[in-house]
Amino acid sequence: MKRALPLVAMLALATACSSGTAATAPQSGAPAAQSGAAAGFQEQHKGGTLKLLAKSGDGTLDPHINYSNGNWQVFQAMYDGLLAFKKVGGEASYELTPDLAEAMPQVAPDGKSYTFTLRKGVKFSNGDEVTVDDVKASFERIYKASGPTSGTFFAGIVGAAACVKKPEGCTLDKGVVVDKAKNTVTINLEAPDSEFPLKLALPHSVILPKATPGKDQGTKPIPGTGPYAAASYDPNKELKLVRNSHFTEWSREAQPQGYPDEIVYSYGLTVEAAVTAIQNGQADWSFDPLPADRLTEIGSKYASQAHVNPLSAFWYMPLNTRIAPFDKPEARQALQWAIDRAAVVKMYGGANLAAPACTLLPAGIPGHADFCDYPKQDLEKAKQLVQQSGTAGQEVAVVVADEDVSKQIGEYVRSVLEQIGYKAKLKVISTNIHFTYVQNSKNQVQLSVTQWYADYPAASDFLHVLLSCASFREGSDASINMAAFCDKDMDAKMAEAMKLDQTDKNAANTKWGEIDRELMRKSPIVPLFQPKQVDFVSSRVGNYGFHKQFFMLLDQLWVK
Amino acid sequence: MIGYIGKRLGAAVFVLFAISVLVFLIFFATPGVDPAARIAGKNADPATLAQVRASFGLDDPLPVQYGMMMKHLFITHDLTSFVNRGTLVMPQIIDAIPVTLSLVVGAAVIWMVLGIVMGTLAGWLKGTIVDPLVMLVGVFGVSLPVYWLGEVVNLLTQKQLHDSVFSWVPPLGYVPFSQSPGQWALHLLFPWLTLALLYAGIYARLLRGELINALNEDYVRTARAKGLSERRILIKHALRCSLIPIVSLFGLDFGALVGGAALLTEVVFGLPGVGKLTYQALQNLDLPVIMGTVLYAAFFVVLANAVVDVLYARLDPRVRHAA
Amino acid sequence: MTAELAVDGVRTTPAAAGAGPWRQAGARLLRNRSAMIAASGLALIVLACVLAPLYASAVAGTDPFVSNVSGTTVVGGQQVQVLQQSTEGLGLGVTPIGPTWDPGHFFLGADGQGRDVMARLLYGGRNSLLIGGAAALLCCFLATILGIIAGYFGGWVDSVLSRFFDVIWAFPVYLLAICLSVVLLTSGLHLGPVHIDAGSLWLPVLIIAVIYVPYVARPLRGQVMALRGKEFLHAAVGLGASDLRIMRREVLPNVLPTVIVFLPLMTALNMLTESALSFLSVGVQSPDASWGTIINDGLALLYTRPMITISAGLFVALTAVALNVFGDGVRDALDPNARLRGAA
Repeated sequence: MKRALPLVAMLALATACSSGTAATAPQSGAPAAQSGAAAGFQEQHKGGTLKLLAKSGDGTLDPHINYSNGNWQVFQAMYDGLLAFKKVGGEASYELTPDLAEAMPQVAPDGKSYTFTLRKGVKFSNGDEVTVDDVKASFERIYKASGPTSGTFFAGIVGAAACVKKPEGCTLDKGVVVDKAKNTVTINLEAPDSEFPLKLALPHSVILPKATPGKDQGTKPIPGTGPYAAASYDPNKELKLVRNSHFTEWSREAQPQGYPDEIVYSYGLTVEAAVTAIQNGQADWSFDPLPADRLTEIGSKYASQAHVNPLSAFWYMPLNTRIAPFDKPEARQALQWAIDRAAVVKMYGGANLAAPACTLLPAGIPGHADFCDYPKQDLEKAKQLVQQSGTAGQEVAVVVADEDVSKQIGEYVRSVLEQIGYKAKLKVISTNIHFTYVQNSKNQVQLSVTQWYADYPAASDFLHVLLSCASFREGSDASINMAAFCDKDMDAKMAEAMKLDQTDKNAANTKWGEIDRELMRKSPIVPLFQPKQVDFVSSRVGNYGFHKQFFMLLDQLWVK
Repeated sequence: MIGYIGKRLGAAVFVLFAISVLVFLIFFATPGVDPAARIAGKNADPATLAQVRASFGLDDPLPVQYGMMMKHLFITHDLTSFVNRGTLVMPQIIDAIPVTLSLVVGAAVIWMVLGIVMGTLAGWLKGTIVDPLVMLVGVFGVSLPVYWLGEVVNLLTQKQLHDSVFSWVPPLGYVPFSQSPGQWALHLLFPWLTLALLYAGIYARLLRGELINALNEDYVRTARAKGLSERRILIKHALRCSLIPIVSLFGLDFGALVGGAALLTEVVFGLPGVGKLTYQALQNLDLPVIMGTVLYAAFFVVLANAVVDVLYARLDPRVRHAA
Repeated sequence: MTAELAVDGVRTTPAAAGAGPWRQAGARLLRNRSAMIAASGLALIVLACVLAPLYASAVAGTDPFVSNVSGTTVVGGQQVQVLQQSTEGLGLGVTPIGPTWDPGHFFLGADGQGRDVMARLLYGGRNSLLIGGAAALLCCFLATILGIIAGYFGGWVDSVLSRFFDVIWAFPVYLLAICLSVVLLTSGLHLGPVHIDAGSLWLPVLIIAVIYVPYVARPLRGQVMALRGKEFLHAAVGLGASDLRIMRREVLPNVLPTVIVFLPLMTALNMLTESALSFLSVGVQSPDASWGTIINDGLALLYTRPMITISAGLFVALTAVALNVFGDGVRDALDPNARLRGAA
């Protein structure tokens, strides 16, 4: 006992240190999210170099190809589409606004064609003016470069089907019709798609110079229209953004002027080192999730530098509905009852960092309904259901990625499975393989832990993408319906809701809520929690704004 | 001699070939590594996936893919990454070499000096308190996981004591020697010490053992009988022979480290060397970069071994007529 | 087989005639105080690990393999959560309870799952010692054989074996580990009649033993090459002894001290490698533990609960120290260069 004393003292000291300034810290960073964009550009804060950190680069810099949260965030300061989500903090960031288009499009009564008038005088960073030809070429390029969403989000454009099959020489003469004289672009769809305007605000459909080659440009920056242009990019070292000298603000809501003169994104430091660097004022922000053992300190001693915002995302467990034991609905429901979601939330960093999820649709996504059919852990009921399903005693492997939170959740789930009567094992695999591995039906994964982030605010981006028959592909690494769930009845209901969305948004949302509830009963997925994003910035940073789709608005930060 | 070099060269090529084939086969035997699916990402259309696969050449038979990869690596020098398309593999490795060399050479100097001093002291003063004391320090060095040690060192120098004792420690990262020799050394100081601590312990222990052996050898007894001073015996006779296994081990360690085996040290201290490159490639399962770094590492291992074998003969006359 | 028996038969004679150098060594070892202290320390650690279930059930009263995320315990008369949600400022983060220094519960605190760290350390020691020791034995056994063969025969035998060492040494172990962990996930490893499951302890033993073979074998090979010039070997050759006999009777005793020095070192090194492999999910799988996995788990909590990783690291270090000191004692006791060679 004696020998232990100095250690206890040391720990006490450490706690005392970290709680030093807690009393003076503001209660939440969230209110800051509202400030900023509403006021005009504040000249006195212009200038300086914003220093960002990440463990590693996030793949290609080609906005038509890259499909990662990290680079989508960066692209906001570099590229524009015909439409944009408002670049403001808070709720309004889910609203669309015309960007390179002068106004919101005119939609034909049948909902199958959208006509845009192109804004005049906008220039790419190479000095060329944006023309309707660039718009047409950019849409064709989505297919030529085999963009990841070319066969899904943009499959509905007239002529797209042929382009998806044969990308070389793709032309959309009927799908994207331009009128040089009137400076208009008309996009024709095979069938009405109420989500089409949302898709036009994503980086995959930004407008690039027509001369851009029709293949992945990788690390070679492509000229864009935003306030910043990439000067250099090496995914192992750094991405350097400098001001686009040809940029002049045309719409503050769509693409505001940025504050820092330079944005340098350095890759390579571990997140632990990154947090230390931010605390020491050597860097301004880090992309990667903050380490669990630093959260408490950041939330107290550095509370004024931390910003917490809910994400349109959820962590969930897909249950493979085609192999034992979860081919039995009772077995799946048993798991809904067995998991204590509050316990899982603890592993993510506690109740202020995540909210237990009762539904498939996260709060904030249209169609989310506030019901909770499995409100509380009930192990007895779960055991009973396992007995009913006749699957008790079977072996179940929980497959998780080798990243800290996933491993912890996996271990908890394994422990719970044992308690309700299964022989459970935890299997941990490399994070980079995990996502494709668990999708492939050949790998016979019974149960895994994964996450889904909204591509755009729509119920279908969760329910239809994750659980429709179409998103299950036998033996493919790209089969996002990991539960292998296919219910013709549910498919029909989802189609109905999507159709309804074109005419009556409210009715559609109610419908989605019902579908959500029915899917929860069928339980192909066990939702765990809706996470929150913690942005930890250096003490010199001001004007923090959180965009619900693209996260923190990098170029709006003040470093002066 | 030319024949010998030729033989070693042939052997080196064989080793590199064997390793590259093994890496290639293991990669493709692993489910979930398909870079097309990882790039095309969430919910891609099967047709799109097929096109991306084709653009990587992944639909060719394996021997063709292997051949193409070797051609890009050795003949056209334009092998590009699977994950970060457009990033050439060769320049990445070449950029990383000076960093790794800086780290490894500095650490090697420290650990060799420390290891030899500690080992000699312990072997020489065997039976006194110095011996177990020195060895205890050495054993602790060996027993600490290097990434753990690195994290703790960072915790102290960058964080807990950064405001007081270690306020002079620069942020993590690397500064090229050409840019500022002072900063270069300052940035590398703790990585050097961390890496050296591990190896110094191993070398000290091994040297001590060898030295005690040597001091019992006939030739040492003869020297003693001749009335040579103990110091002279130690340095001229015993130490010289005892260093032989050390040199062999040093060759292995140094070759491996220059090849990127200081992976965890580089990662923990944020040094963009070959080890870190390898680590990132492994994390991303980026086959072209893995292949490049692995072959580079293998080259150094083979080279170091060859050099050691030659040195062996020079250091120990007994090997010469035996070999 | 017959050859080996014959050699064994021959071997007994001089050993007995030499008044038992092994027995003498044993006596010397017993007189070596530091070696005996180390041995008792080692025995203590092993005993503690063997008695882990007793500690867990009778003393700490927990099951260290069941998640205890919502559990509570009593500290200083107050009931507290085992995983505590921060309440300061923004209230971010959850921290497991720290050391209570009360062997009755959470002596060293809890881990991220709310399990008793002390109990897990004791259980973990079993796996670590088993893997570290078994891999070191296997590795040194293989390395000794291969090193002696390569050094003794030289020529093309040496070339082939040396290239084999090069391939192993230069091969990216972590790639192998990552890929193996995925490949084995569904079906395990089948080597003829032997079936190794992804979570089996034999997998890390095998991998670790093989990857360190060159590390031990190459110095041994060098030593053997040096021996080839020595008179006593020439004498043995002159007497018409078979290669096998010379290797066993003359060469082996000469390299054995080096092997013995390596053995405890390799055990320590293996325990560390095991932790890296566990991290990449080859080997000890949760909920089971090893000191390596506990070090890793603790690293995630380094900042708030450093005791977890420090205590596991200390266990590894102490075991390694004890092994090394004991190994030195054995080596000194054998003093093989002076005694055993005399028999030749």
